[in-house]
Amino acid sequence: MASSITVPRRYSARSPLVGYLLRRLGTSILLLIGVTVVTFALTNLVPGNPVAAALGEGAASNPATVAAYVEKYGLDQPLPLQYLTYVGNLFQGDMGTSLHTRQPVADDLLKAVPATVEVALGAIIVSLAVGTALGSLAAYRRGKITDQVVRVVSLIGLSIPTFWLALTSFYIFFLQLRIAPGSGRLSPIYTPPPTVTGLYTVDALLAGQWDIFFDAMAHLMLPVFVLSLFTIGLLTRFVRTSVLEVLDADYVRAGRAKGLSGSRVLFGYVLRGASLPILTIVGLAFGSLLSGTVLVEAVFAWPGLGTYAYESATSLDLPGIMGVGLVVGVIYLGINFIVDMLYGVLDPRVRLA
Amino acid sequence: MRNNTRVAVLALGLVATVTLAGCSAGASSSGDAPSSLVIDTAFTLETGDPGRNYVPTGYMVSKAVYETLLDFAGSDESTPVPGLATFEQNADATVFTFTLDADRVFSDGSPITADDVVFSLERVKGMVESKANFLMSGIEVAKIDDLTVELTTETPSLKLPALMTNPSLAILNSEVVIANGGTTDDTDAAEEFLNSESAGSGPYVIDSLDFASQVVLTENSEYNGDEEIDFGRVVIRSVSESATQKLNLEGGDSNVAVDLSGDQVADLSDDVTVTSGPSAQTIFLLLNQNPEISEFTSNPDFVDAVRYALDYDGLLELAGAGSEQATGVIPPSFLGALTDGVEQDLDASATALAASGYDGETITLEYPNDYPVGGVSFTPLAERIQSQLDAAGITLELAPAPFTTQIDEYVNGREAFSIWFWGPDYADSANFLPFAAGDKVGLRAGWTAEMSPETVALSAAAANATSVDEREAAFAAFAQGLQDSGPFVPLIVPGSNIATASSITGVSYNSTWTMDIAELRAK
Repeated sequence: MASSITVPRRYSARSPLVGYLLRRLGTSILLLIGVTVVTFALTNLVPGNPVAAALGEGAASNPATVAAYVEKYGLDQPLPLQYLTYVGNLFQGDMGTSLHTRQPVADDLLKAVPATVEVALGAIIVSLAVGTALGSLAAYRRGKITDQVVRVVSLIGLSIPTFWLALTSFYIFFLQLRIAPGSGRLSPIYTPPPTVTGLYTVDALLAGQWDIFFDAMAHLMLPVFVLSLFTIGLLTRFVRTSVLEVLDADYVRAGRAKGLSGSRVLFGYVLRGASLPILTIVGLAFGSLLSGTVLVEAVFAWPGLGTYAYESATSLDLPGIMGVGLVVGVIYLGINFIVDMLYGVLDPRVRLA
Repeated sequence: MRNNTRVAVLALGLVATVTLAGCSAGASSSGDAPSSLVIDTAFTLETGDPGRNYVPTGYMVSKAVYETLLDFAGSDESTPVPGLATFEQNADATVFTFTLDADRVFSDGSPITADDVVFSLERVKGMVESKANFLMSGIEVAKIDDLTVELTTETPSLKLPALMTNPSLAILNSEVVIANGGTTDDTDAAEEFLNSESAGSGPYVIDSLDFASQVVLTENSEYNGDEEIDFGRVVIRSVSESATQKLNLEGGDSNVAVDLSGDQVADLSDDVTVTSGPSAQTIFLLLNQNPEISEFTSNPDFVDAVRYALDYDGLLELAGAGSEQATGVIPPSFLGALTDGVEQDLDASATALAASGYDGETITLEYPNDYPVGGVSFTPLAERIQSQLDAAGITLELAPAPFTTQIDEYVNGREAFSIWFWGPDYADSANFLPFAAGDKVGLRAGWTAEMSPETVALSAAAANATSVDEREAAFAAFAQGLQDSGPFVPLIVPGSNIATASSITGVSYNSTWTMDIAELRAK
């Protein structure tokens, strides 16, 4: 992902960084078009009739309704024309109308994506904190009982089925211990805060609605816990490996020899040196958290991207599926881009010219 | 030192946040009478426009916000009762005269008139794209005076009163809807308005509607109908996972869970009440009569061999609370439903199988594997059918597929042997006449009118009956005719299980709108 550009400054009409960004942008657009082609082709390859799926049995037997429906959504057009129309509309900011919800796909996604981002962001923050701590601890205590325990714990985190964990934790913490709230993003007594970001916690803070903020935080706890357990296991193992690789490096020993404190050596030398592979994993994990939360969202009745993707897929909702594919594609491209930029920040050797 | 302080402050902040968040997580006891009502259901909600709605959650919302010309009292769906109007019909059952209650008003206080009725019904008829459009097929609407409307049909239509209870045919405030894009043709553009506001006369109005998460209803302060509601605010939440619905209810986070399976209601805690009963869905086996599709399933003897080989009680074990054996294509609560279903008779099955010429060939049984009906998953059902038929000498190969894949094959009559289901669009036995030869479901089984003129005649007699007694006898004869010689083997009528906190009473199941929210009471 990292790259080095060595264009002599005197021949360049613009900054190398700008050129790099433009090339990345061009590549990203091509990739996104590729995503639409693949998604469109695969969705149409699936046997089934989206009209029958969307209208249901009764209405699907009414020729007038079927004809009007087919015409409205352009389903009577040849597939290549349908695709070109879709892409043409896309460039005008129109992602189409969902066959399933009958709402503009962009509107649906504007509601679903922030819901998932909120929980995924919480999960990645928790994972990063806990995974880094546990991984570092295991590396520092290599071969000792602490290391063994951490490795077993991380293995458990990687092995537990998410759906089972979600239901079990909901049963224990909500029904038995009564320390977690019920499902959803807010308690039924509350109305969502005025939408600014779509993240209830942030929007509640911006509106000064503290009761809603705390309620939204409470509703985040269990989904975040469940989602982060797998990522914690993953990060712990990677951090341990990465930290072990740099613990014996000369610059770490030099830091210790200079009498620096343990925490200064850990944060300033060890973790910074081990940060590149960790960063890669964090980026991939965050992307997968955003696009792979179907089961957790189902258990916690979380109206996010996973739920929307599932419902679109099961109803052969082509615009919905295309919309989800595009969003996930943009998310991954965005994360990869940020990760590439951070490489340069963390390691001057891969910094752009 | 400064770093340590920063860490300590951050840690304290985190602890305080989590503690406060935890405090706000306290769940109320399910035994306390709630000030507002929370209903959990797996959302099937596509629109707030009653004229375009055709799905269960939408019906539940429409029923609370809008009213229809006629209604049903509680769970009794046999006889329509007055809603916004009373009605009379002519002897031929082709002219129905509805007289509106003069005092009733919409949520903005304006009176409900015949113009509103004509507009609302003509609007559904004109919106060909609406899934509910077919409900108005063959019905002409005319205003007689400000409070009287006449509905006419070309052929006798005793189903019409039941049709007029369907929330898709709710009466809208025509002035408000027209002002917001409403028309009586396919240029109607009022859906967006009706997705955010209501224009009805029901006991509730829409406070907010989010298709992905929840619908909030509040009391209609202008309501002057018969219902006396106990809850000023109702939240209908989208909870797709029935296990979550169960936990929410037991933990006091919700008051009603709509989609629990028979197994789940069996082990609910004591402070939860369950209203169970047979639903209006029928799960059945389809054996295609088109010899080009299958030489075996099209053989009447083979159909009989399957019909008598099955252990229906054994199949019913999979369905749980509230379910019953399907005694025919018409479910138990409908006019003309048969009293007794088929019983297993292995000797009769063996005789029929021998006569069919079947010799152990493998038959493929298709079914949707991602679409449980009334809590009945088709995969274990198919496996049990496979096992039972295997014992009777019929070899099956199971071919599950997603609903969206299967339905196209089913609707187009390309499946030889499959498990499907049928539910009514409105509470009338006419909903089951499509099982006749040459009709919609019959053709899906490759059963043309020429193959069974007898059932075609029975269907016509039931459709054209002009008195209730005549209708009941005709529908019973139709159901028996299909049971004797049709290509369908009715299996199960799954249960409907609505679970409520003990503080809630008044649940009545309805096959169209599931339950009338306005009828729910706080103890």
